[in-house]
Amino acid sequence: MLELLVQTGLNALYSASYISLVAVGLVLIFGVMGIVNFAHGELFMVGAYVVVALYSQNEVPFVLTVAIGLIFVGCIGLLMERTMFRPLRDNPLGGLVASIGFLMILQALASMTFGVRMAFVPPVTQDVIEFTDKIRLPVQRLYVIIAAFGFLTALWLFLTRTRFGWALRASAQDPEAASLQGISITQTARIAMFIGAGLAGVAGALTAPLISVNPHMGHSVIIAAFIVVIVGGVGSLEGAVVASAAYAIVHTFVTTFYDGVLADITGLLLMLIVLIIKPTGLFGTADRA
Amino acid sequence: MLLEVKAASVDFGRISAIRNVSINVEEGSVVTIIGGNGAGKSTTLRAISGLAKLSAGEILFEGERIDHLPPDKIVGKGIAHVPEGRRVFPDLTVEENLRTGAFLRRDKDAVETDLTAVFKRFPRLKERRGQRAKTMSGGEQQMLAIGRALMAKPRVLLMDEPSMGLAPVIVEEIAKIIEEIHAQGVTVVLVEQNAELALELADYAYVLETGDLALEGPAKELHDNEHVRAAYLGI
Repeated sequence: MLELLVQTGLNALYSASYISLVAVGLVLIFGVMGIVNFAHGELFMVGAYVVVALYSQNEVPFVLTVAIGLIFVGCIGLLMERTMFRPLRDNPLGGLVASIGFLMILQALASMTFGVRMAFVPPVTQDVIEFTDKIRLPVQRLYVIIAAFGFLTALWLFLTRTRFGWALRASAQDPEAASLQGISITQTARIAMFIGAGLAGVAGALTAPLISVNPHMGHSVIIAAFIVVIVGGVGSLEGAVVASAAYAIVHTFVTTFYDGVLADITGLLLMLIVLIIKPTGLFGTADRA
Repeated sequence: MLLEVKAASVDFGRISAIRNVSINVEEGSVVTIIGGNGAGKSTTLRAISGLAKLSAGEILFEGERIDHLPPDKIVGKGIAHVPEGRRVFPDLTVEENLRTGAFLRRDKDAVETDLTAVFKRFPRLKERRGQRAKTMSGGEQQMLAIGRALMAKPRVLLMDEPSMGLAPVIVEEIAKIIEEIHAQGVTVVLVEQNAELALELADYAYVLETGDLALEGPAKELHDNEHVRAAYLGI
């Protein structure tokens, strides 16, 4: 029993890793631009298809593919900022609707290019770390965990140690006061979109060999990410990471001991309970929500 | 003339906030804009710093039009704005708040010197440099907002109701700080509901009434003006 718990804990750690990458990006974009990016799950999907196109079909080294996924999807983020969110800056609802339209475009493009069936991605490595007979951690999953940890640490250092990091946080907290310090709202929006989208892309690329890659794979991720963002407190990056861990633990344990559908329901229940007890989320504050 | 507001009007939808307001600010002076609630004092400052767009008129800084520029470009020209209600960044630390004030500056060494100077002027901020801004008192937040604006090394400092909601002791302290800032050669445009304080500090004053310029003159004269005394000084 103890072994099963430890094994499930490891599985949860893996889920928490990539969900937090997606959720943190979502929070960053909402914080800086005030826009709920519904296409965020599809950015995750595009990241996975970068791996299909380069690594599966053209044998580009996996690490390089992940880096390209980060940059390519980051650039899609820049495109979204320029073509949708900037013209709709004074209209957050318009931004939301535009992002739903963009989601459909990305799904259609993926279907037209790669087909609607699951795409095959060969494993990067078959190695498994065996702690005991029953506690095993595939090295591929370990890579995802390490990479997520690395990216989140880098993001944290960027936000707390650099002047553009301060600028980003300042304009998330008070865009008008930030502009009075010489911080350009357009520039912070661009940075937030590149980082937010890039992290979703990197999460998709990293997990591509481990999950089923298809044009509609964004759905499950975006639901998880939304739950995490609400539980953690809208606008709180720390909250998003902590809530990712909490969500992944609950979801993985319920999946393991009962089944996946019940796990989804439990996830939503978790959100409901947090909203009843603390409507601003675990780390949220009323003045920022 | 360092800063000129020429026949400026600002509309919010169908309501006009200020109409045909002209203000001249000479280099090295302290100019104040007084008036009641909703007279358009804040709107005038917001128009100067680019937060409110003009529907008519123009604003010149050193003879150059700035009214079409976004706020972040106007700061770069040397006009810093301490906004109404302080507007410090609640979840940044005191030091991070101050450093965002220097966001556009490239002279790193001078920024460090200025940070030390701000800490010397406001010892409370130094004590609390690692603390989040939202945990501080109103007076401390006002000091932080002023310190943040000074970090931009401005030539003109726009101050919107720095005394609002503060205890009399702290208001006195703020007045002293404004005098010090002025003594260092920074031009100050001060918006105040506390007309007594404003007229004491200023060289020249403008009185706004429901969006129109009602009166202007040397601060001393306005202080003795009967209309001003009755309407704003409560004497």
